[in-house]
Amino acid sequence: MKIISIILQLFVITGFYLIGEAIQVFFNIPLPGSIIGFLLLFTALMLKIYPLEWIESGAHFLLAFLSLYFIPATVGVVEYGELFSGKGMLLIPIVIASTFLTMAVAGWVSQYAAKASTDRKERS
Amino acid sequence: MAFNLTAAFFAVLTVSIYLLTNVLYLKYRKTLLNPVLASTAILALILVLGNIPYDTYMMGGSWIGTLLGPAVVALAIPLYKQRDLLFTNMLPILSGIAAGVVVGMASGVLFTQLFRFSEELILTVLPKSLTTPVAMQVASNLGGIPSLAAVFVMVAGFTGYIVGPALLKWLHIDSPIGRGIGLGTSAHGMGTAKAFEYGQQETSMSSVAMTLSAVLGALLGPVAAWLLLL
Repeated sequence: MKIISIILQLFVITGFYLIGEAIQVFFNIPLPGSIIGFLLLFTALMLKIYPLEWIESGAHFLLAFLSLYFIPATVGVVEYGELFSGKGMLLIPIVIASTFLTMAVAGWVSQYAAKASTDRKERS
Repeated sequence: MAFNLTAAFFAVLTVSIYLLTNVLYLKYRKTLLNPVLASTAILALILVLGNIPYDTYMMGGSWIGTLLGPAVVALAIPLYKQRDLLFTNMLPILSGIAAGVVVGMASGVLFTQLFRFSEELILTVLPKSLTTPVAMQVASNLGGIPSLAAVFVMVAGFTGYIVGPALLKWLHIDSPIGRGIGLGTSAHGMGTAKAFEYGQQETSMSSVAMTLSAVLGALLGPVAAWLLLL
């Protein structure tokens, strides 16, 4: 029974994805169809249009192997071997430096904003 | 028939290697044995040594890749389950993520521009702090190279995973919200795995940050590309 419900839920998730893709193509939105599907599903859950119990185990199953799905794409790096033997090597430290900045800014801003809002609550 | 057999072979091979590297990773817990990294390395080696064209491999590989779209949709479930956390800390969470996404994209583009890389490579580096499936989509929509984008996403992930804690400590980012949002926004799933070592609150914050930064990044990606490449 459990397996059947997981399979049915996977179809529902795929349905949201396909609707997202269709909306993307139809309205020519510069946003991936998968993100549109994500927003639709999140909205449906928030508005209680679609109950969590009818999708939770399927989503859990699908996400358990998330990293598997992008391996075929990452293997594609074999086609860009020569890029990293020359100047392209520089792209690695660039990404590392940019990641540092991202983490510092995101972490600092959220910590500062959280502190500011608790201070405000304490004062009032 | 031969066509389908080849495809099936590469699909099964990918899944088998993935499962094998997962078992090894769970057993030895070494960062370098990270299943994505190890599987990619093994498969790449097989293709190179066997002189197998990537397109041939992708006959089966693309079967697995089609699950990426639905998996992104499924990320709505963990976010929905974290909604209370999200709504009670809405301002700090959103401001931190937004600032991080903007700085991440802008700095990636500016640094690559500084070294005069091609526009194609600039657009490939742009989405590197987003979770892989979304980063690949964004890169391909903008005119970048999806599989290279996935490599940069991994570099960002490893950076956050390995050096993140030291950086956070150095900058005195020591609250669960600061650590979680910092790790999740910059290093997506890998950052969230590191956040798990701090505790439950950091993990939740990081997974919320990973998901929301992906959505925001997908929205802002085209805008950032347009603004920065003028």
